[in-house]
Order: sequence, then structure tokens, then C-alpha cells
Amino acid sequence: MSAAASHPTTEPRVDRARRLFNDFIVKYGMLAAIGILILFFSLQNDAFLTVNNLLLIARAVSILCIVAIGVTISVSVDGFDVSVGAVTGLSVLLSTSLMVIWNMPWYVAILITLGAGLLVGLINSFFIIKLRIPDLLATLGMLYLAQGAQLMLTQGESVFRGMFNPWATERVQTTGDIAQPFKQIGQGFVFGSEGFNGIPIPIIIMLVIAFSVHVFLQYTRWGRMFYAVGGNREAARLSGIPVNRVRLFAYILSALLATIAGIVLASRIGSGAIRAGDPYLLDAVAATFFGFAVLGARRPNVFGTVIGALFVGIMLNGLTMMNVEWFFQDFIKGFVLIASLAMSFFLVKRSQ
Amino acid sequence: MTQGLYAKGLGKRFPGVVALDDVSLELQPGRVMALVGANGAGKSTLIKILTGYYDSYEGQIAIDDQPVHIHQPSDAAGVGIQAVYQEVDTVLVPTLTVSENVLLSGLATERRRFLNWAALHQEAEAVLAQVGLTLDVRRRVEELVLHEKQMLVIARAVSQKVRYLIFDEPTTSLSLPEVERLFGIIRTLKAQGVGILYISHRLMEVAALADEILVLRNGRKITQFPASEFDFGRISEAMLGSAVQDIFPPKTDTPPGETLLTAEGLTRRGKLKDISLSVRRGEIIGVAGLVGAGKTELLRALFGADPLDGGQVCVNGQPITLRTPEQAVAQGIYLVPEERRSQGVLVEEKIQRNITLPFLGQFSRVLGLIDRLREREHSVNTISRLGIVPANPDAEVQSLSGGNQQKVVIGKWLTGQPRVVMFDEATQGIDVKAKQDVYRIARELARSAAVIYASSDIDEVIGIADRMIVMHAGQIVAEFTAAEFDRARILEYATGSKPKLM
Repeated sequence: MSAAASHPTTEPRVDRARRLFNDFIVKYGMLAAIGILILFFSLQNDAFLTVNNLLLIARAVSILCIVAIGVTISVSVDGFDVSVGAVTGLSVLLSTSLMVIWNMPWYVAILITLGAGLLVGLINSFFIIKLRIPDLLATLGMLYLAQGAQLMLTQGESVFRGMFNPWATERVQTTGDIAQPFKQIGQGFVFGSEGFNGIPIPIIIMLVIAFSVHVFLQYTRWGRMFYAVGGNREAARLSGIPVNRVRLFAYILSALLATIAGIVLASRIGSGAIRAGDPYLLDAVAATFFGFAVLGARRPNVFGTVIGALFVGIMLNGLTMMNVEWFFQDFIKGFVLIASLAMSFFLVKRSQ
Repeated sequence: MTQGLYAKGLGKRFPGVVALDDVSLELQPGRVMALVGANGAGKSTLIKILTGYYDSYEGQIAIDDQPVHIHQPSDAAGVGIQAVYQEVDTVLVPTLTVSENVLLSGLATERRRFLNWAALHQEAEAVLAQVGLTLDVRRRVEELVLHEKQMLVIARAVSQKVRYLIFDEPTTSLSLPEVERLFGIIRTLKAQGVGILYISHRLMEVAALADEILVLRNGRKITQFPASEFDFGRISEAMLGSAVQDIFPPKTDTPPGETLLTAEGLTRRGKLKDISLSVRRGEIIGVAGLVGAGKTELLRALFGADPLDGGQVCVNGQPITLRTPEQAVAQGIYLVPEERRSQGVLVEEKIQRNITLPFLGQFSRVLGLIDRLREREHSVNTISRLGIVPANPDAEVQSLSGGNQQKVVIGKWLTGQPRVVMFDEATQGIDVKAKQDVYRIARELARSAAVIYASSDIDEVIGIADRMIVMHAGQIVAEFTAAEFDRARILEYATGSKPKLM
């Protein structure tokens, strides 16, 4: 019998109300904030709360989500992978240039790109686990390596159909193209009908990934080990957990997801824009840490991360529809981030 | 007017746990009140309320008939309540000098722009002299040993006009002469009219110091009586709720079975020197030795936790590779590590998730999906088998007392098929009742496996072991069978005053 059961609680009513309020904010504060945001924007603009606009937001957010889920995995083992944005960018350039410059079929380009992502994950793990470089520094190094590789690949040129081949000795146009099936990944729709475009494929990809990783982390023994390693690496090791294998796996997954996000991004923009992946790093980290506050989880979790990414996406879309100038948007993003995080974390601390 | 600190109806609740329930106490100037109780009895909670650690709690506190409000540490200091905790390091700044640490709060609040170092040191020396302490005030705190730091904290409390001083298990890591010095200081303070609240597991200390004894159990005040009525049996009974007999389970009378594990020439530079031993089914092998003798290193080596420079471990006569704990666990070699919180448990996880962690495979179905029903059932069984309190698989381990945390660590290994289970200082900082449980479990495990039990408490090793090895400076210096156990002889070998036997 627990101690609580033996002594009935006789808490004063005011304290109880305050505690319940605290608990509510800690658990549902983030979700409530999103609700308020949606309500606010739909009052401002009738076009906001329409199926098409919401799908537009979801599509815009899905790439961020994929990157952020990777960050979430690395944070769950108490690591940190800051190379993701650069890896996403490398993936954009690599996949498109393989098709455009080197005339490869789209599926081969995708396979090679995924292979490169795997390699990045392996190298990161090698730095962190074998060479014992602190994760933040190791992946920061990888950030530069990936960014540099991205630039060297085309000598700093963006990739598009009919570009001049940067590697030819003479000035010759490339003959390759970004194949139609490849473009479908980012631009296509499924389940369309009359008057309804359908659901964008990136959303489907994102949902499949989110669902799989969520099940993996929450319901499988591997996920349990991830959190155990993240909670206390030494205690996990002394419980017989293969700590290094878990970490290796985490960094590989993180790099692979960033690579997949890059493929989707390349397909959506239909060309290989230089540094297109860079901005995803900060947003992905923000979404991950946002996720800590969702449902009072206090640990990295996929559901929270997806909500966090949606939060960021809704805010940006709404602000754009309200014709807020682009140069205000980062500031507002930062402000709302701090405000909602402060609310959750402060109250979590108070209620302990 | 009545002098003294009066607390009435103090209580503190956490979700699902009542840590302290309606406890009243009075602390008079110049008297020592001893507070005793098993782990989880509510002692720490009571101290935390009195020192302003908690913002909210139940009950009232009054000093000299005036109600006082203590909701943060500065409130407590303001009315003259200070505490000397076990972990003195948390309240000292290691890189500053003794003087600066003694006068820290003054330095922080007074409007001094420049420090007059000579005056500062003089002032600090004066404060130290008040408690009869001679320390070089120019030394940095990081160079001090534990008992010096403790004295420093006491001196600092005195310099801040302390009226009520709380000691929380102050002697845990002190040697005998150091304990004597501490008692001297406490008696001095008492004579100066300071009211002392003294918390300890060690009842002999309580008998030596206290004027009044208050016993807590399960968050409640069980009894209070003057020290003149001191009675070991009565206090233990009040603490545990039942009379204690011998706390060690009876030793086995059947001869041990086959050899389960042998180690040959284990060597680790600077830590272990040519260690060979063999353990057999059905026996508990004690490893005695002082702190730093290499006991922990030996156990960690057998568990694959540290790399070895030489030697071989065999299981059932077959050599095995032991480079990671994972490999040891696969062989049925388990370790209850020395540092419970940082090495034994995941403090932020539920009890359930700790218990099933090493053998998740047993609870998995296709694709590694965890069978939560089976996991829960198993945890509930383990919890009741070990008597873990609260008996709630969803309770976070950090909310448990030390003894219960230790049971969770042991519970992790009960899921597997143990061949050799090793305990490293397993009863450090846990109460008598939990100790008794640990001994009982060790004995149970020894029925079907071998147990290696390492401890710096020689009486404990004598009480639990069937056979003992004594370590000194990374070597095995002696070996005894239960019939040969002799405290004095063991100590001679452990301290290195007798050369290596064999």
C-alpha cells in the first residue's frame, strides 16, 4: 500500500485549484497555445482556416518535421546533431546534380544520396564514439564538411535543367533533367477528387516517418534503450545496454532523416538550390525543444516535435497571410518561442 | 515568554506520497534534539521545511512565541536557522579561500568595493576560533578534506548568528577522531545556547549527544522521550515498527557446489595486481578492505566495466571475453554498483522501466514491441518480492528513499538468470530495515548462484559472508573461512600492517 493511500489528502481548496491549473498548463499549455494561434489567425483572415490552406501549412512543415524528428532521435540518446541542416542541403545538391550533371536515373540518384547520408551518420558516430569528440563539436565539424561538400560538388553553382556543366573543360550545357517521378515526391498529391487537390505526398512521407519513429521510441525495446542511454549513459552501460551501438544507430538515423528531407525538398523546389537546407537546423532544434513541453513530456518525443514544427509553421503562414513583412517574422518567432517555453518550463519547475 | 523554536503540525505532500504528516517539535536553546528514523521516514523533508527549501507546506513555525514564515532559505537564515548537510560541497565555493567562504554572505551583501585581504583573514580566523578550529584561512577550500569543510560550514553558520543548527548525518564519512572533534564543537555550541537538531542513523551517537530523542516513521512522529530513557531496542522498534533480532540471515550449512567463475591474474595498472579467485555456487564471498583497496575495481573488472591490462576470466571452465558489461550480463554476471544514483538507476524513469531494463528481450514481441502487460505484471511481482515502497510501478525512482532505490537496482537483476551477483557497498546510506532486506536477498541469490559481497564495513562482511578475501593496495592479502573470521586479524591485513598471507 502506498503512503498516499494510507493518509487521505486534505489539501486546502485554493492550493488545489492552483495546482490543478499548473498541471493543466504544464500538460496542455502548448496545445492551447496552438489553438489560440489558429483562432487568432482565422479571425484575422477567412482564408486561414480552410482545408487547402491547412494542407499548405502541413506540406510546408513536413520537411521541417522530418529533419526535426532526426534531431529528436539524437537528443533522445543525450546527443546533439547540429549537422542536420547542412546534410539536408548536401542531399538537395547531390540528388539533383546526379540527375542533371551525371545523367543518372532518379532512383539511382536517390539511392546514392541515401548512401551518402548513411556515410555522414557513420562518420559522425566515428568522431563521437571512437574519437570521443563532444557531440556538439563533432557535428559542428560535420556541418562545415557537409556544407563544403555541397559547394564543391558543383563548384558553388545551383543545379537546374540546362545548366553549364561545372566540371567540363569547355562551356557545355548539361543534358540531364530532374525526372518527373522525382518531382512527384515533393509536388505530387494522392487521394485527390473533384474540387480537392488531394493530400500532398510530403505530408504522407512525414506521417509515415513520424508514426514509425514514434512507435519505435515509445513501444519497442530499442526505443527504451535510447531513452535509457539518454537518461544516464553510465547506468545504462552497467545494465548491460550496448550503449555505443545505440548511439551509433541514433546518429545514423538522424543523418538519414536529414537526407530524406533533402530529397523531398529538392523535389519540391524542382532544382538544386545552394544552401536550401541551412535554415532547417534552427527550426528543427526549436521544434524538438518545443516538443519537451507538449503534454508535459519533459523529454524528446516525436509527437511533441511534430506539434512544435506545426506551431512554427502555423505562425509563419498566419503572419504571411496577415501581410506581416518578412523581416519581422524571425523576431516574432523568437518571441513566441520564448514565451511558450518559459510558461511551460517555469510552471514545471514550480509544480515540483 | 517561552524561549525556543516550536513547529506545529508540519506536513508535506507530493503527488501520491505523504512525505511528512502532522509532525510537531520543540527545540530549546542549549539543547540537543536527536531525530531518528529509517530512510523515507521524513527526516529530510522536515529539515527542508525548517531551512526554507520548500515554498509551501502545512503547519506553523514559531520562535520565542512569535510566528515566523519560512518559505525560502534566506527566511530560515534570517531567523537564525542553519543546516550542515551531508554534502557540504554544495554550499562551498571550491576555488575560493577559507576566509572568503566563511564570510561569503557578508562579502556578497556588504557594500565593500575593495577587499582588505589582511582584515578579511583576521576576521575569518576569529570566527574559526569561536568554534575552536584552527585552519589556514588562506588555503583554497578545494584543498581541504571533508571534515575540515564540515567545520568550515559550522563556523560560517556561527558567524551568521545561528540560533538553531541542524546536522544532517554529519558523521557518515568521518573517522573516529574526527567524530570526536565534531562532538566537541557541538557541545561547545550547545553551551553557547544554540539549539541543535541532530539527525543520524547511528544510535550510539544519539546516545552520546542528545537530550531528547524524536522518532519518525513513514512521515509521522512515533514517539519522543528524554535521552535518560535511551534504550537501543526501544528506538529500533519505534524506527522499524518491529523488534530487530539479528540483522544477518543465517549462513549456509551446506557445502558450496561447483565452481562457477574463476579469475586468473587480473591486473590493471595502478589499480589491481595479479588477482586470482574462484567462486562456487551456493556461497557468499566477502571482499573486505578499506576505501581505495581495489574492491570496486575488482568487481568492475569482473563485470567488464573497466579495461584490464592482463588476466583471464573463465566461466564453467571456459575463457570468456569481458570487454563490456553487456558481455558480462550475457554470462549471468551482474553488478550492484557502488554509486546507486549515478550508476545503478535511471532516476527520472519509473520503477517499472528500471526493473525491466537489462532484460527487455524477455518482454518483447515481434519487431521488438514491448509487451506492457507482461512488463507490468513482472514489475509488480518484483516490487512485492523486494518490498519496495511505494509499491507503485509508475513511481519515479528519484522520489524513492535510498534503500528503496537500492532495491530497484537489485530488482533489475532478479529478472535474469544469475550466475554470479556482485554487491559493491550495497548498504551504504540506507537504513537498518533496508539493509536487512539486502542481506536477505543476497542470501536468497546465493542458493542458486554465487554472490560476491564487497564492503568497507568489516562487520558487515563478517556478518554476511561464508568466506572472505581481504584486499589491500589492489591485491588480495588474506583469505579466511567463516570459522576463521576475526575482526582484529582482518583489520591488520586490511590496513596493510601485516604482510600478504600465502
